Amino acid sequence: MNTAGSSSLAAAQHALLQALFARPASAAADEAEARLGALLDPAQHPQSDRGLSAYRSNGHALAERALQAAYPVVAAVLGDDGFAMLARALWHRHPPQRGDLALWGEALADTVQDDLQLAELPWLADVARVEWALHRAASDTDRWPDPGSFALLQTQDPGGVRLVPAPGLTLVHSPWPVVSIVNAHLHAEPPLEEAWRRCHGGVHETALVWRQGFRPCVQAIPPADAALLAGIRDGSSLAQALDAACAAADTTGSTFDFGTWLAAAVQDGLVLGAALEPLPSTPLEIPR
Amino acid sequence: MSLRARRSSATGPEVGIGWRHPHYASLMEQAPALGFIEVHSENFFAPGGAALAVLREGRERYPVSLHGVGLSLGSALGIDTWHLDQLARLVDAIDPVRVSDHASFARGAPTSGPQIHAADLLPIPTSHEALDVMCANVQRVQDRLKRPIAVENLSAYLRWREADMDEPGFLNTLARRTGCGLLVDVNNVFVNTRNAALRGETSDPLAQSMAWLDAIDPDAVVELHLAGHADLGDIVIDDHGSRVGEPVWALYAHALRRFGAVPTLIEWDTDVPALAVLLDEAQCAREHALQALATEEVE
Repeated sequence: MNTAGSSSLAAAQHALLQALFARPASAAADEAEARLGALLDPAQHPQSDRGLSAYRSNGHALAERALQAAYPVVAAVLGDDGFAMLARALWHRHPPQRGDLALWGEALADTVQDDLQLAELPWLADVARVEWALHRAASDTDRWPDPGSFALLQTQDPGGVRLVPAPGLTLVHSPWPVVSIVNAHLHAEPPLEEAWRRCHGGVHETALVWRQGFRPCVQAIPPADAALLAGIRDGSSLAQALDAACAAADTTGSTFDFGTWLAAAVQDGLVLGAALEPLPSTPLEIPR
Repeated sequence: MSLRARRSSATGPEVGIGWRHPHYASLMEQAPALGFIEVHSENFFAPGGAALAVLREGRERYPVSLHGVGLSLGSALGIDTWHLDQLARLVDAIDPVRVSDHASFARGAPTSGPQIHAADLLPIPTSHEALDVMCANVQRVQDRLKRPIAVENLSAYLRWREADMDEPGFLNTLARRTGCGLLVDVNNVFVNTRNAALRGETSDPLAQSMAWLDAIDPDAVVELHLAGHADLGDIVIDDHGSRVGEPVWALYAHALRRFGAVPTLIEWDTDVPALAVLLDEAQCAREHALQALATEEVE
């Protein structure tokens, strides 16, 4: 059902939402408040102004809480006041579209990247991208190890078999030591001083995010691993994924040992089994 | 399927608590006797992960009430199909004792750009048009879930100029036309009348709150909510951040005498205290209920 049309109810609801989400202290906010004021019970004035302020404050508090849960490292880097300002800016610039606030906040990385005041923290946007991947991995569709299925690797041609990735598998390529920065804040490993040394030393890292059981994990991986995992994530055959991994290894003058890699990947819960068909796509993005 | 779950006056109502993240582990460890636990549906919309696993574990021990804060039942845009799909999946997985949401809206569409969901419980006018929209939206949800839902009254900090009826009349008609239940938040009623007192509209908020309860159709009421509120001086806010106040306990007793031993929830969402405090509030609710219902029998 869509009863929006030009009904007075739709107009009233539109007016209230505009008043709540217009950028504070802007001409648009003043106009929205004036439009809303004409629709409210005059007997409630001036308490209705206080009520509108209460709804705005609640929205800002929700924004801060939701983003703090998803972006603890960005929050720690910016401090309480800086993070609160960022959360409010995002709330007004990119309001939630769904009734599940855990899905809101993906635009934070691009907002950080475009914010000139944060230009002195050029790695922060990639930190946010890694944190968003961790946040979404935490609630991705459950999938459990199937050790017996690895027998397919012995019986099937690599062109017809696929590896099953862990929930939440995401790759973030960064020109910064983004994994070191995230882990320094979350686990003090490496120490912060070492993370900054890598930052100033031009170290770049590709972050691998996945979920081990119910625990989201992140680690830095070399280009060959990233190429292989990108293929696995996209449902490529093992042969195709291995070709990509070997090509990536060639560019760095190294070799790729699939047997060694697979043993570690199984132990880390990074691949859960083998299958003849790709898994149904379970996009982490919000459906539009 | 019926939402009605009144117990006899002698045993008192089922009393439950809101189960929030700080108490996921402690509730499972202590396993106290509770009539039910309540969770916010939207916190469990994800297709997997630890939270959903915890809820499944909780469901093995307790009846679960799924209380939504985001269906936006009063939205002129209608119900968000995506939201309803997630709720239906959760209902199938959990088999809750009750499903509820609010007589409010949160969704809208600006003239350009995508829809907005304000993630808040925004008031709707008590107009014929809003009633028609609410009825259509509630019916759509009930048809999809194949069960009646309960709709809760708001604490509202704005009041629309357009009003064709009072709030109890609006809710009673909604229940009659759709077959939904009413979830009466006693604290919300009191917060609204306290704010009316601050505007000089009443000198006795408790009496006005009782009159509000008296105007509600008793047969429609399926659950009661209790919580604390914050008096900020110029406005009273339903913040669910403290113990239930004495006037709200008095209103609760009045509600029980009118509605019977209706399942009752202790809500606490801000500065969530130790589980022991919540359980103590639940015990207070049981004692107030038994006292109120015994008084009713004497009368």
